[in-house]
Amino acid sequence: MQVSVYRYNPDTDEAPEMREMTVRLPEGRDLMVLDVLELLKVEDPSLSYRRSCREGVCGSDGINMNGKNGLACITPVSEIVRRGKLVLRPLPGLPVIRDLVVDMSQFYRQYEKIDPFLQNDSPPPAQERLQSIEEREKLDGLYECILCACCSSACPSFWWNPDKFIGPAGLLQAYRFLADSRDTATAERLAKLEDPFSVFRCRGIMNCVSVCPKGLNPTRAIGKIRSLLLQQGT
Amino acid sequence: MRTERPVFLSLSPGKIHFPVTAIASITHRLTGAGLFAIIAFLLWMLDLALSSESGFAEAGRVMSQPMGKLAVLFILANLSYHLLAGVKHLLMDFHIGVSFEAASASSWTVFVLTGFIVAAGAVWLW
Repeated sequence: MQVSVYRYNPDTDEAPEMREMTVRLPEGRDLMVLDVLELLKVEDPSLSYRRSCREGVCGSDGINMNGKNGLACITPVSEIVRRGKLVLRPLPGLPVIRDLVVDMSQFYRQYEKIDPFLQNDSPPPAQERLQSIEEREKLDGLYECILCACCSSACPSFWWNPDKFIGPAGLLQAYRFLADSRDTATAERLAKLEDPFSVFRCRGIMNCVSVCPKGLNPTRAIGKIRSLLLQQGT
Repeated sequence: MRTERPVFLSLSPGKIHFPVTAIASITHRLTGAGLFAIIAFLLWMLDLALSSESGFAEAGRVMSQPMGKLAVLFILANLSYHLLAGVKHLLMDFHIGVSFEAASASSWTVFVLTGFIVAAGAVWLW
């Protein structure tokens, strides 16, 4: 199979380039894109990419495969390859450190902005803060995010304003804490989000939903945050 | 060693995949810009039609020519698409149809309905 890979080595290259490589696939079984990367790395050990758990849990190997962001480790070659060709590029919009490895600092800064931890000043009960089954259910579809950045780096609003727009990943987490019955900082959280950029740069184009490897829906969460902001009259 | 890092970002076709929901969104913006530009043309036509009896006849003549009819279809396409996509947007603001499947379906629906309206307009004009 023909594989076209985005290559960039800051020590030797002036600019990134697409390099054509060939990989021999084993007959009779499907591989994941990460397996293809491993095969390519045997050919060329200088090829760089991030990986860890290889089963879609750690979120390290988010890359752009044939134009679509996703996790290389859980994307079958048969699903993504068109006309016998695979094109691998780093996540769009993020600074490239080397080959398929991107600098995620901007992405993490936006995550940090939403205070991604439970806030509750009331004295903790002896054992734990309890939730009803219904309260706990509100967190389904929110807590599963693994921060792979596939969504935010597929979002034009994040491309144009990575410093001001929180982005789908950060906003999904913002809503995860807004929706949590144990969190008491709702007003403070909303006050931080009411400017024209943080939430309202989302135009609902749903690139985020279409690429999320965990099947989550940031657009829905962002809509809920908007409703909360509206109810607050802010 | 270079310290400035490159960024992969390309809007040229085929580089980054955009789902139909994204195409529907950018089309919504383009038709919005189109409608704004169309106001100038419509004001010009209104001014011409109100200027005098002969001006009214002139405006009627311009609009009944093939180019005039095409202009009407273009206006109709912009207006109907923008209106329908706006309704879809409002529904989504009410948390209706925010799953990816529903939003894809409603995006396609907006495109198809616009096609029908333009086709109906063409039948009516010719």
